[in-house]
Amino acid sequence: MLLPWEYGVRNLARRPMRTALTLVALATVVMLVFVVVGFIRGLEQSLTVSGDEDVVLVYSVNSEENIENSSIAARTPSLLTASLDGAVKRFGITNVSPELYLGTRVKTDEGDGGLGLVRGVTLSTPLVRRRVKLTEGDWPGDGEVIVGRLAAAKLGSSDDAMAIGQSVEFEGRRWQISGRFAAGGAAYESEIWCKLGDFQTATKRQDLSLVAMLLSPQSSAAEVELFCKERTDLELRAIRETDYYASLQQHYKPVRLLAWFVVVLVSGAGIFAGLNMMYGAVAGRIREIATLQAVGYRRRAILISLVQEGVLLAAAGSLLSGVIALTMLNGMAVRFTMGAFTIRIDSVAILIGCGVGLLLGVLGALPPALKALRAEVATSLKAV
Amino acid sequence: MKMIVCLSLSLVALLAVGCKDGTGVAEGPSHNRYDLDSGKTQYEAETEPAGAMPVGEAREKTEDGQDVTLVGLIGGSSEPFVKGLAAFTIVDPKVPYCADEEGCPTPWDYCCETDAVKQNIATVKIVDDSGKPVTQDAREFLNVKELSKVVVKGKARRDDQGNLTVAASKIFLKKD
Repeated sequence: MLLPWEYGVRNLARRPMRTALTLVALATVVMLVFVVVGFIRGLEQSLTVSGDEDVVLVYSVNSEENIENSSIAARTPSLLTASLDGAVKRFGITNVSPELYLGTRVKTDEGDGGLGLVRGVTLSTPLVRRRVKLTEGDWPGDGEVIVGRLAAAKLGSSDDAMAIGQSVEFEGRRWQISGRFAAGGAAYESEIWCKLGDFQTATKRQDLSLVAMLLSPQSSAAEVELFCKERTDLELRAIRETDYYASLQQHYKPVRLLAWFVVVLVSGAGIFAGLNMMYGAVAGRIREIATLQAVGYRRRAILISLVQEGVLLAAAGSLLSGVIALTMLNGMAVRFTMGAFTIRIDSVAILIGCGVGLLLGVLGALPPALKALRAEVATSLKAV
Repeated sequence: MKMIVCLSLSLVALLAVGCKDGTGVAEGPSHNRYDLDSGKTQYEAETEPAGAMPVGEAREKTEDGQDVTLVGLIGGSSEPFVKGLAAFTIVDPKVPYCADEEGCPTPWDYCCETDAVKQNIATVKIVDDSGKPVTQDAREFLNVKELSKVVVKGKARRDDQGNLTVAASKIFLKKD
């Protein structure tokens, strides 16, 4: 015969302080798991949505995987469009975007700032970067910039400092913010965009970093890649944008592995904390457990009741953390080397967080309960 | 009744067309006729083509449109193959690449000899009967990989910048 369900529930209320402390400890562990898993999911999501299947990037073969180091001739876009007919052409405009992209020190009006990512763009850029949407203000004119939704996070600055009408300083010039843009969570959201010509003048450069081409359905990235191989004198390489971000995923694999390792460590530490708490809780109830055995309850029934208490507490802690994570943590911007991204508490994060929470309840309760049940009933009844 | 039969047949025909994979682009396997006896594709030569010249020499001597036979090692960059096309770059065998004991993960990029590579590299694209590149990765059907030594026979294309591309109709994989 099992112990009544209410017995376990009431037991939790009998020692409110101990229960509250255990609940806080479990909730903290689950919260840490949420933070780390949310970080990994945010990073993965940012890299996954950043690429466009139909866009191919052409940049310097010498820059390896880092486009910031790329330098290609300014005539590359015209060479590509003259030699290849794969790019989408609408209303006489070829969807090819020449861009100058680099990391540079950016300062806001408030005096704070840091290493920002700036992209010199043209009017054809939004045709190729189809996710980008101007959410406020206008496209940049001379001496103006538009800032991504996460640019402030990337600079470690406040959103107010990056509002329309404010200005930022980089490459020895002041630039007024004329608009803000979003890109569905893609990496561009942490960037600052200005007119290509302006940026070339400010940086005293005439070259480009890359050319992004929107390919028509009839053409393939392989054709562009073949062109780059044939024109060895240009020292270009072409890569589908999704493949580029997939390679970045590989680049950040050690970071993700480390983060998962942290999840395991935090969970392990949480289990030990749970064990400690439950040992304390059960140690004070040895006589009660022995009495239950003496009354006639089987050891298995008492064990289930103790596990039930642990799981109830862990479930409550997981729920509490889940609510806090969803309301306060989800969408929080995180600065990272490649830009910035938002912590993502999605279904996977919820599943892992709550799973770890419930596991803490079961694994934390089992060993102390088994220890208490192994003792002789007669001895336990005399325990102080 | 006749009407229903006709409609059913049309529907079946439409479904059959709809289920067909591809978007009208010539797929590689359809162009790769395998010789059942040798197990080789139509692009693989049975014997080594004679008179092969190294890539460096070919860059100096070959004219645009000339028939040419080249010998070289697949490489020249970290990714010498074009994904989705039977095309790759080859480098003159005289250019040294990192030895095994140096521990270089990608010796085929000739990272220590980049200047020498510029004058000793050619692009090879395997073309079908109509002269279009075969739309299948060379690694998949030619049994080649990075640093494979190959002899290719085809038509040279030169440009004003001195680049050399060979539209190859035959390729031979050297075992040495």
